[in-house]
Amino acid sequence: MRHFITILLLLFLVIAGTAWVSRDARQKIIGTPLLFSVPKGWPQPVYDFKNNPPTKEGFALGRKLFYDARLSKDNSISCGSCHQQFAAFSTYDHNLSHGFNNSQTTRNANGLFNLAWTKEFMADGGINHLDLQPLAPITAQNEMAESLENVVKKIKTDTAYKRMFKAAFGDININTQKITRALSQFLVMMLSSNSKYDKVMRGDASFILPEQLGYDIFKKKCVSCHAEPMFTDYTYRNIGIAVDTFLNDYGRMKITNKKEDSLKFRVPSLRNVAYTAPYGHDGRFFSLMNVFEHYRSHTINGPTTDSLLKKGLPLSNYEIGQLTAFLYTLSDTTFLKDKRFAEPGTQNTIPSFIHLH
Amino acid sequence: MNKVFVFVCMISMACVSWLPAEKNNTVHHFTFTFKNKVGKADLQLSTQYKNPFGEDMIINKFKYYVSHIYLVTDKGKVIKVSSDTYLIDAADSTTATIQFSANVDKVMSIQFLLGVDSIHNVSGVQTDALDPMNGMFWTWNSGYVMAKIEGTSTFAKVPGNLFTQDVGGFKTGENTARKIKLATGDWQVAEQDVVTIEADINKWFQSKNSITIADNPVCHSPGELAVKLADNYATMFKIASIK
Repeated sequence: MRHFITILLLLFLVIAGTAWVSRDARQKIIGTPLLFSVPKGWPQPVYDFKNNPPTKEGFALGRKLFYDARLSKDNSISCGSCHQQFAAFSTYDHNLSHGFNNSQTTRNANGLFNLAWTKEFMADGGINHLDLQPLAPITAQNEMAESLENVVKKIKTDTAYKRMFKAAFGDININTQKITRALSQFLVMMLSSNSKYDKVMRGDASFILPEQLGYDIFKKKCVSCHAEPMFTDYTYRNIGIAVDTFLNDYGRMKITNKKEDSLKFRVPSLRNVAYTAPYGHDGRFFSLMNVFEHYRSHTINGPTTDSLLKKGLPLSNYEIGQLTAFLYTLSDTTFLKDKRFAEPGTQNTIPSFIHLH
Repeated sequence: MNKVFVFVCMISMACVSWLPAEKNNTVHHFTFTFKNKVGKADLQLSTQYKNPFGEDMIINKFKYYVSHIYLVTDKGKVIKVSSDTYLIDAADSTTATIQFSANVDKVMSIQFLLGVDSIHNVSGVQTDALDPMNGMFWTWNSGYVMAKIEGTSTFAKVPGNLFTQDVGGFKTGENTARKIKLATGDWQVAEQDVVTIEADINKWFQSKNSITIADNPVCHSPGELAVKLADNYATMFKIASIK
């Protein structure tokens, strides 16, 4: 009798155990979790890590996808074609980027970093989730011009991808969601927080005099829009620009349908700004000097011009010099050369003095 | 004695682990069948019809989302019967039927949302019916197309005479998802009931608002026109039969 009870007891233990295990299995994370650490003094990220926790395997898959030209119609353009690491993942030297069949984009490709803190994407903020962002360039006729069906079809023919999807998500059922989640896992890990400015803030370095003077001027004249530590407050503002009559891009107004949002574009981050020229939503400013000139002499006082720029932004030659010195301290060369973000199989990123078309 | 106690505990634990989430005694299985009409005629794609304004039209695409399906009982109880979102596509008859089951005997009305709720519009990339691959998603201004009619008409003064009325928008003031309530009368639920719901495309063009193809061949963004079309399609459904 005693043995009988013991056997029954063990049997029920096993049954109960399997039931609980099957409940837990649904929540189990697949793969090796990657640590995402928030730099000291930074706000909490907004990306939903719970739904898509980055793993080593998901990151590797996202990286392969990011550099895979098969995501475009004629297999010639990858995300990395217009988001080049040596340019802080903007398009080096180009005001607008080149798309499928000699087409051109209508906006300047902005740098990609610290995306886990970004709530809305594109210069007009039209895209409301990082996972959704890649769908726009992939399907736009003047960018990669491919359909999502074809992207999935092409990826499914690649056995390496099958292995990687299995490792990252537990099965080989490849769909839009898994593709974009893998891309997001790669993108959120692109943290740029090791510039000289960051080192100074951490107490590991100190500004030289022009940098310090520039920082003081920055805090008086620039910081109300380019707020630290992200160097943007993520708002949409008209900095007193005229519309380009070829592009007719009115920015935020297209998303909100509100007249008061005409010519408003998102305040860009100034991190890595020395590497992301040309500037402005359509790349109209060739150099930092052009940007300073715009602020001090060329702003237009239109109906939607930002209240802080109604009379322009007075800047002396001296101030421009010191500000430039400060802005150069926002370059994060650790990030620009981080091999984890480079195209798989490449040893080094291309030096920035090589002119690419 | 101690062992017996542990034994009983184990049994109850095991039972609790395997217990289904809900207990249902009188579960009925239903089918909703969506049937698309142009006035009295059944909709056939690539076939010429006239809309209420006498405008000729050949419809190539007619798709809409249905979600948040509820049954309201004679006692006023609202029963949610599905958490899924369905894409009804006139080009694919397998999408026209939705099957589910509920523990209910008498129903006074059915309710559903025509469209996709705002949560799914702001939560990244979804799967299945909500996969952006289905061509019901705006990538440059995130959000689902709740419903769309596309086709040709000599009244559509646009390239290829192709009119494309894609209706979407979920933000305040631009919302195009519409709650649909349809009275069923005293519906004594029997096993395997089929509810046939008709969607009349004529109402899409003329109901609360009069929207001609000539004046509005294209709707590709949230805003005033999309909301007007949504107010129209909110009225396009009716229950044709319950069998």
